[in-house]
Amino acid sequence: MVPAERRVVTVELRPHRRLATPGPRPQPLLPPATVECPRCERRLPEARWEEQLRVCAHCGHHARVPARLRITQLADPGTVELMDLPARDTDPLRFDDGLPYPERLRSARAATGSSDAVVVAAAAIGGMAALIVSMEFAFMGGSLGSAAGGAFAVACDRAVAERRPLVAVCVSGGARMQEGIVALAQMARCTVGTSALAAAALPYLTVLADPCFGGVTASFATQADVILAEPRARIGFAGGRVIEQATYERLPEGFQTAEFLLAHGMIDQVVERSRLRDTVRRVLLALSSAGPR
Amino acid sequence: MTVSTSDVAEAERLAIEAVELARNPQRPRALAVIESAFEDFTELRGDRRFGDDHAVVGGLARLGERWVMVVGQEKGVDAATRALRNFGMPHPEGYRKAQRLMRLAERFALPVVCLVDTPAAHPGIGAEERGQGWAIAESLSIMLELRVPTVSAVLSEGGSGGALALAMADRVLALENAIYTVAPPETCAAILYRDAAQRARAAAALRPGVDTAHEHALVDELVPEPPPGAHAMGTVVIAALRGALIRHLDELSAMDPEERLARRRARYRALGG
Repeated sequence: MVPAERRVVTVELRPHRRLATPGPRPQPLLPPATVECPRCERRLPEARWEEQLRVCAHCGHHARVPARLRITQLADPGTVELMDLPARDTDPLRFDDGLPYPERLRSARAATGSSDAVVVAAAAIGGMAALIVSMEFAFMGGSLGSAAGGAFAVACDRAVAERRPLVAVCVSGGARMQEGIVALAQMARCTVGTSALAAAALPYLTVLADPCFGGVTASFATQADVILAEPRARIGFAGGRVIEQATYERLPEGFQTAEFLLAHGMIDQVVERSRLRDTVRRVLLALSSAGPR
Repeated sequence: MTVSTSDVAEAERLAIEAVELARNPQRPRALAVIESAFEDFTELRGDRRFGDDHAVVGGLARLGERWVMVVGQEKGVDAATRALRNFGMPHPEGYRKAQRLMRLAERFALPVVCLVDTPAAHPGIGAEERGQGWAIAESLSIMLELRVPTVSAVLSEGGSGGALALAMADRVLALENAIYTVAPPETCAAILYRDAAQRARAAAALRPGVDTAHEHALVDELVPEPPPGAHAMGTVVIAALRGALIRHLDELSAMDPEERLARRRARYRALGG
């Protein structure tokens, strides 16, 4: 990695590698004036990169967006109220895969500034009060454990209590292996939340961003009324490596991309990030237009 | 950490033994349970959308005095049936068949009994094309909202969301030597260590036995298996399972439906603190 790009992109590009072998933190550097696109490797002025919501002006690559920045990208300016989600060191299996799980949690918190892989905010989108759930991929691959499942459930509770629609941006490798069966149970727990939204006739919209897999795809990410995805996002249940090893099948070109799922009827639209806020706004507006049932 | 190498090796050996015991091919399979614990089984097939997945079997049957809808994952008992049943790994159409049968049960007020027995939902190209994640997610939603009593039993292996899709019931039982995990140890090793061969290490860390799921309230009751286990004591274990299923259905049927639903929601809402 080029040192000059660290301030902006290292955390999102190589979160696994960093968390798996925590070494000394990189030395603080002077703010870089440019950012390198992780796909085409061409450089862009940092201000332009942010202005374009971290989409490359050269190749259209949609780079990963940290959870809180994603919320500000979607919400009306000045309306974001982050929900306070206390950090919890639950370690149901006393899991140690070279590093005790609670230590892994603490280093992920230090690296991301998030208490776990789900960040929740109350905000307005196009003037409509909504709740936004935003997943932090840099936090252990956005994996779904008890803290994230609990945060999602709390977001649903609040949406129902305040009669707000819910928008969830899903970016996750799936269930968090370190919590074992308790992570699996979070799929059930989140389903209680999405069922409550449905029962209350509140619009529930998801945005699937790169990547979205496993227990997240097989629960709240796809239980939505409307499912949008970002261009070229990789989305699926089993990972490509698992499929190749299990079946010896050669994966077709474009397999498990947003465009592939659109062609197979699994999602409603592939939406460029520049149009995302407006698309979300319009769907919420339409679905809320008849008022409460 | 002051854990000696031999302790680690011992833990890994025990974990792999537990996984191998759960995967013993002589353990009772779903069709065997249906055959001996239920009567008048009438199989209902197909998802009415794409196909009929042989990894999932289901239909109408009597359990004691009661007609029920029984749905199970079937692993097969020999090379030919294991291939036919895809080792109990359902495709999306298997989950959609289960959903169809559950909806049918609900229309005619039949309790639903699920027999969970899968290493995982099938990982494959066709499964992804037809929305494996979508199918499982829909099963979770349906099982949460069914207005009829629901009981699930984990027979040998409950692996990943592919198992949970049949296990979000009012009551969840498990045979004592079964395993219930977030992912098969091989997949877990591939994810954590990027090496499926490290399955012993993953198995030891995952604590795959159903006692862990019981401890964390995803399983309510363990059905005892007299030594050496259900692979050798099939008849006894199936009889014990039958008794437990009937007892739980009796209790659930006596409850007010709204109360039953509220308890089911509260139960799954609370998992993990």
